Amino acid sequence: MKNINFKSRMNIDLLIYLAIIVVSAVILVFLDMNKFEYNYSISIIEKSLVYAVVALSMNIVTGFTGLFSLGQAGFMALGAYTTAILTIPAAARPNVYYMNGILPALENAVVPIPIALILGGVVAAAFALIIGIPVLKLKSDYLAIATLGFSEIIRAVIASPMMDKITNGSYGLKSIPGFKSSLECFAFSLVCIILMILIINSSTGRDFKAVREDEIAARSVGINIFKTKQLSFIVSSFFTGVGGGLLAMFMRSIDSKTFQITLTYDILLIVVLGGIGSITGSIVGAFFVTAGKEILRFFDEPLVVAGVEIPLFKPGFRMVIFSILLMVVVLFFRKGLLGGKELSINGLKKFSRKKDEVSVGGVA
Amino acid sequence: MTSNVLKLTDMSIQFGGLKAIDSLGLEVNKGEIVAIIGPNGAGKTTAFNCITGIYRPTSGNIEYMGKSIIKNDPEEITKSGIARTFQNIRLFKNLSVFENVLIAVHLRYNDNIFTSALRLNHRQEKDMREEVKRLLESQDLYKYRNDIASSLPYGIQRRLEIARALATKPTLLLLDEPAAGMNPQETQELTSYIKKIRDEFGLTILLIEHHMDLVMDISERIYVIDFGKLIANGNPSEIQNNPKVIEAYLGVEENA
Repeated sequence: MKNINFKSRMNIDLLIYLAIIVVSAVILVFLDMNKFEYNYSISIIEKSLVYAVVALSMNIVTGFTGLFSLGQAGFMALGAYTTAILTIPAAARPNVYYMNGILPALENAVVPIPIALILGGVVAAAFALIIGIPVLKLKSDYLAIATLGFSEIIRAVIASPMMDKITNGSYGLKSIPGFKSSLECFAFSLVCIILMILIINSSTGRDFKAVREDEIAARSVGINIFKTKQLSFIVSSFFTGVGGGLLAMFMRSIDSKTFQITLTYDILLIVVLGGIGSITGSIVGAFFVTAGKEILRFFDEPLVVAGVEIPLFKPGFRMVIFSILLMVVVLFFRKGLLGGKELSINGLKKFSRKKDEVSVGGVA
Repeated sequence: MTSNVLKLTDMSIQFGGLKAIDSLGLEVNKGEIVAIIGPNGAGKTTAFNCITGIYRPTSGNIEYMGKSIIKNDPEEITKSGIARTFQNIRLFKNLSVFENVLIAVHLRYNDNIFTSALRLNHRQEKDMREEVKRLLESQDLYKYRNDIASSLPYGIQRRLEIARALATKPTLLLLDEPAAGMNPQETQELTSYIKKIRDEFGLTILLIEHHMDLVMDISERIYVIDFGKLIANGNPSEIQNNPKVIEAYLGVEENA
């Protein structure tokens, strides 16, 4: 009896999630149809979606496996450059590589966008496999420093003159085909997010969590912790690479400066703010941070109240407000907005029920 | 003579200048309950850590079912059939009771990231969950299945840790101070519980314990260690009357 109940409840949840996806898609179609009016909103939504993918991929390794890795920007750069190099139209290439020319082998190497994105992920994953061997033996802070260093090395190599004919060195790449519509961006991000959720909730994901909780206990139940860490690192890097590719498509032109450490911090901010170890937290956090930075923009414009210009409202003030908001969140929601929990229909129901119980208890 | 499940010969381990265990010899036969006792810091837990591969002995040998396991990693040792619990409970604290046990059955199923992520293993996953459900029911833990492990009362956490060890389907179970922090009545219950699981799961049990009531009641043979050295072994009544053991526990009588 209970089992059947449980199953039907799962199905209802699934239906609600599907409904949310469909409604979002419909809204996006509407926005796409009125592109000129909503151009700004569309770009915020696209950026949020891309960041959601990268934040969730970082959460796999940081939140679910307990490995504090700061290599995000490096893996994104690998994915972004791979995608860009493989998708810039052949006709546009002489124009992009006008300074140094292009490697003859790459002149006509154009593949369909989905394949380019996957290859971007594969390249990032391959690097994760290689650097993971020495780096994953390190613990906490040391791992963070090592991955941060790796990320900077990748950036330096991409910008170096040696790579001119492949990455166009410090000139960066442009004419990257963008999303045809925001729906395309939504579809790519959705596929990535669903795959990651499936992994997190699978037996592999449970092994990740076991390693996070207690390494010695994990070994005592037969989990090979090094292999598990490596797998988590590779999976995370794969999706970070794909996310980097999506970012390249969103920005349409990239250079090595795009992938500075600040990019990693932006992603880390989303993960921490949303809740370390919370899937929905990362997604909500991505929208919260990306949209928040934009919505607060009116603080940058001069404000005149009753003929008096308020002095604080100057360019840059929004970042002050944003930082204050962040501090408030960190102080009052120490574990992030969702604190390791998930936003779900059931959770909301339980929450409201608990409140009822409390109030009933109070009356009795 | 091949009924040995576990055999330690001349096993020593040295940390820097400290010889934590000095040529320890120990045998556990199939179906036995054997206890290791000794004062604090005698090297009992270190011996457990050597057997389970967390430490690698400096010299000597450890044989499990006639095969040396001295070079194996902890996860391999668990897979070969040795499960353990820890002195200061090591659960997956933020996971539910069900997940704690579910993770321990993974080792007996063949999964990889593709089959598990794409749910190609759903039949296997169902088997795993069914198995966990049965185990939890038999250990009277099913009602706690959705509780977060760290939120459970101490005694239940101990039992969950044993259940998790059982989920790996061990032949040999190592219990490190299972009665630590328990009152006499709980200790009594634990005594019969350990006997029960031995019979139910056909286990061989090696345990470390300070509660002498439990040790004397439950074990067929006892090894006494002091300062890393074996000072006595035998059945409970022999141990109780052994002068060396009394000396280790109570000190030497000073004669004027």
